[in-house]
Amino acid sequence: MIPSIARQARLVVLVVLALLLAAAHPLGAQRLLVPMDDAQTDHLKAYGLTYNAMRSGIVAEWLLNYRGGSFLLPDAPEIRRQAALAGISVEPLNDATLSAVRREMAGGNMESVPLEKAPRIAVYTPPDAQPWDDAVTLALKYAGIDFTPVYDEQVERGDLSKYDWLHLHHEDFTGQFNKFHLGYRDAPWFRDMVASNAAMAKKLGYPSVPGLKKDVAERIRAFVERGGFLFAMCGATETLELAIAGHDVDIAGEFADGSPVEPDADTRMNWSRALAFRDVHIERSPFVNSMSDIDGHQVNVPGRRQPLGTFTLFNFSAKFDPVPSMLVQDHRSVLNDFYGVTTSFTKATLKPADVVLATEEGAPWVKYIHGDYGKGTWTYLGGHDPEDPQHAIGNPPTDLSLHKGSPGYRLILNNVLFPAAKKKPLKT
Amino acid sequence: MVRRLVRAALIVLAAAAPARAQETTEPPEVMRAYDMENAGRYREAALLFRTALGRSGGSGALLGLERAYAELQTSDSLLPVLDSLIASRPREPLYRSVQLRTLQILRRDDQLRAAFDRWTRELPRDPTPYREYARILIAMGQPVRADSIVQLSRRTLGNARDLEFETAQLRAAQGQWTASAGAWRNALADAPYLASAASYALAPTPAATRDSVRQLLHSTATLGARRALAELELAWGRPQDAWEALRDVAPDSATAAAWADFGERALTEERFPLARAALGAALRVHRTPELALRAATAALRSGAPAEVLTLLPLNDAGGEPDRLVRDYLPLHVAALSALGRAPEAEALVTKYDRVLAPGQHARLSRELANAYVRAGDLVRARAALGTGPDADSSDAAGWLALYEGRLADARLLLRNAREPGPELAFALGIVSRTRGEDGAALGAAFLALARGDTATAAARFTEAADRHVEAAPALLLAAARLRAARGDDAGAVTLWTRIVGTAPDAPEAAEAELEWARTLRRRGDRAGAIAHLEHLILSAPQSALLPQARRELDLVRAAVPTP
Repeated sequence: MIPSIARQARLVVLVVLALLLAAAHPLGAQRLLVPMDDAQTDHLKAYGLTYNAMRSGIVAEWLLNYRGGSFLLPDAPEIRRQAALAGISVEPLNDATLSAVRREMAGGNMESVPLEKAPRIAVYTPPDAQPWDDAVTLALKYAGIDFTPVYDEQVERGDLSKYDWLHLHHEDFTGQFNKFHLGYRDAPWFRDMVASNAAMAKKLGYPSVPGLKKDVAERIRAFVERGGFLFAMCGATETLELAIAGHDVDIAGEFADGSPVEPDADTRMNWSRALAFRDVHIERSPFVNSMSDIDGHQVNVPGRRQPLGTFTLFNFSAKFDPVPSMLVQDHRSVLNDFYGVTTSFTKATLKPADVVLATEEGAPWVKYIHGDYGKGTWTYLGGHDPEDPQHAIGNPPTDLSLHKGSPGYRLILNNVLFPAAKKKPLKT
Repeated sequence: MVRRLVRAALIVLAAAAPARAQETTEPPEVMRAYDMENAGRYREAALLFRTALGRSGGSGALLGLERAYAELQTSDSLLPVLDSLIASRPREPLYRSVQLRTLQILRRDDQLRAAFDRWTRELPRDPTPYREYARILIAMGQPVRADSIVQLSRRTLGNARDLEFETAQLRAAQGQWTASAGAWRNALADAPYLASAASYALAPTPAATRDSVRQLLHSTATLGARRALAELELAWGRPQDAWEALRDVAPDSATAAAWADFGERALTEERFPLARAALGAALRVHRTPELALRAATAALRSGAPAEVLTLLPLNDAGGEPDRLVRDYLPLHVAALSALGRAPEAEALVTKYDRVLAPGQHARLSRELANAYVRAGDLVRARAALGTGPDADSSDAAGWLALYEGRLADARLLLRNAREPGPELAFALGIVSRTRGEDGAALGAAFLALARGDTATAAARFTEAADRHVEAAPALLLAAARLRAARGDDAGAVTLWTRIVGTAPDAPEAAEAELEWARTLRRRGDRAGAIAHLEHLILSAPQSALLPQARRELDLVRAAVPTP
């Protein structure tokens, strides 16, 4: 995305900045609090400020549950400058006020977590995709967080080992193109998508797109197993799991690979290999726009579609469960739901060890889940775009400058920062 | 997507509504039932509609009963009624349509399909059941099933044209924009009132496909297709192309009405040249005094004052002196004033002076004074204000004082001006910053501006900045705006540089820097634009322009999508 020379120049600037900061601000100097409650004027860019401070070598602190999950940064001129440019509210704290903050945190369900190392970010996305196709790339662009797009070729080449954090969005890892052939078979964009994927499969030596995507899914599984952080949204959550569990089963319709779904596919799936789900029933019909019973909302299946409600974030113990706490830091605890190819996750298909981060009261599904896998972690958020609940193909992109305090987008950006709190080195 | 389809359906229904309103008078029970319905008394309304339906089987009663039962959430009660009605008059399409709708509301998908099958069995050559069922499926968000019904109708009826509207909606819902445009073109040939529905459905067409859509809708010169194309071009931000889509349609009364609508909209949106073209074209087909007045107004506003004299000749007012004085005379005086024909304007005012009300006289006198100002004759401008109260207290007197450099009078009079507007705000913003009485250089700048000589005005404002250092940033910014508007970017940049360099704390510095950044962005100098926007944000944290500067910084950095 960024030319390597520009990247190197930027790195030099960041290192110089870090040295200047270290020289100018010895221990005991003032700090800047980046409040994340309603006093914040641009919540989303505050994540970018913190991330880029870390990239320059600064250790930040995430004050979990303190004023909406605030950040604490050194009071450096460059940080003030960046905050002013982006319109981010910051509050200087002297030693006395900082001590008062820490006393207050010690007495409540709050905790300070050091953020040490900015994760290296990859986003799995087709080379011709606009940033606006994906809520995460929208959020990263808006917050000013650099990322590298990767796709099948890079994954197959083993490039995932270069990154700490990987995001997936609406890719269909079963290779069935989200069954969009039902409504869009003649649409030029659909035909282009099918043709480019088929060409890639052929180039990389796979007999069909489902074959290629299954291998990509397997490499992503291995990435997590070796210590990577995976964050997926929308249809990628469900199809990744299906592709991993169905590694040795034909789960793609005839239209995708020339052979129908195996009749006993349900019983042959190996869910012990999957990250989050178990005992899933596969939708075998090529005429039903659904992959399985993982999704509770089934937005593209008339007659099954469930209406949108609201979901509530769990309030974890910040001191004992810092990881789930980081993932739910927000200035709102109840959020409006939003559709996606996969909108939610039915409770019946969750593995017992899954950590539910957000759920809809009384509904048989949950919205936001997390878990460990091997040495890494995965986090799934259902839905496509938190600020476009009915998002449809062809809709205009969301302009995040109109949603600076979006509680839904904060969940996405929590995922970007939380790997920085992990101190263990990535073994990939 | 579903909301888009429902909205499109509402547009179609809205287009059809006027026709329904013109139906024959309903029986008294139905009229009473309407009253009950409007009062929210749905049970009584349902009873009355039911009684009326039993007597006449009329459409008003059935539709009323459908609404009332829906409000009472007892839509299933309508089904036995419909069964009886259909048995008595099996060829009546309204009964069948309401039956399908009711089954849809009740989510009885199997019965819905069965009712459709019965309808097609009993009336095998009728396209209506296919059309109604396809529409329902589209509204239910089931484009694939709707598509299968459209295909079935083609196979059964052997005619592709019967369901063009449904096909068009379907293809748009499936993202097949070109196919949708083709179907819309065909549908609009028979139903031009669907133009708004077509443009609504096609508006989300991606930029790369728009030319194909344009080509298809432009390939026929029928009014419906061209109106749809014109509305699309407006939605896609190309108003000139919108007019191009409409202008070569064969002129008749319907076309003239479309041109007049387009012109009126353009006038409201201050696209004066387009308004002038469209209203002028409409006027040539169908001349009315109202249309002539609007066309003349558009001509004057678009900088073609000479056309006022031909579009709206004074003798057209005929025997209506009130209309002449109220509508015609001000436009003629303003047109003559703009043409620099001040003596003719004065003669006109003198001719009708005896029938002018005092307020009208004052307004025309001020217009006359402006005419002499434009002609450079300040003496006669002052004379035009006469010796009455306007001579030393009107807005025009304030402007004259400013042009003559009498700053104290100008401050006093303009502060109390009765006709606010951007020009007054600009002048007040300048004179309130100046000190002293003598403003000859400043007056010369404003006078040049009033005459429309922006090159001289820019030079005079720059000179005035040396005389009035206290207002220098505002004067330099005014000069820079004029230079930028003339396309003289280099001249504007020189002035912006001077403002930011010499008066960094002045409010104009932020605006200068913002304009500077915009100019650099237009030229493709992304780094330069970012540097200026960052400097603006950091150096003027209290500026009201800060949100705009941050927004533009996001745009330059591609942090948000370009609108």
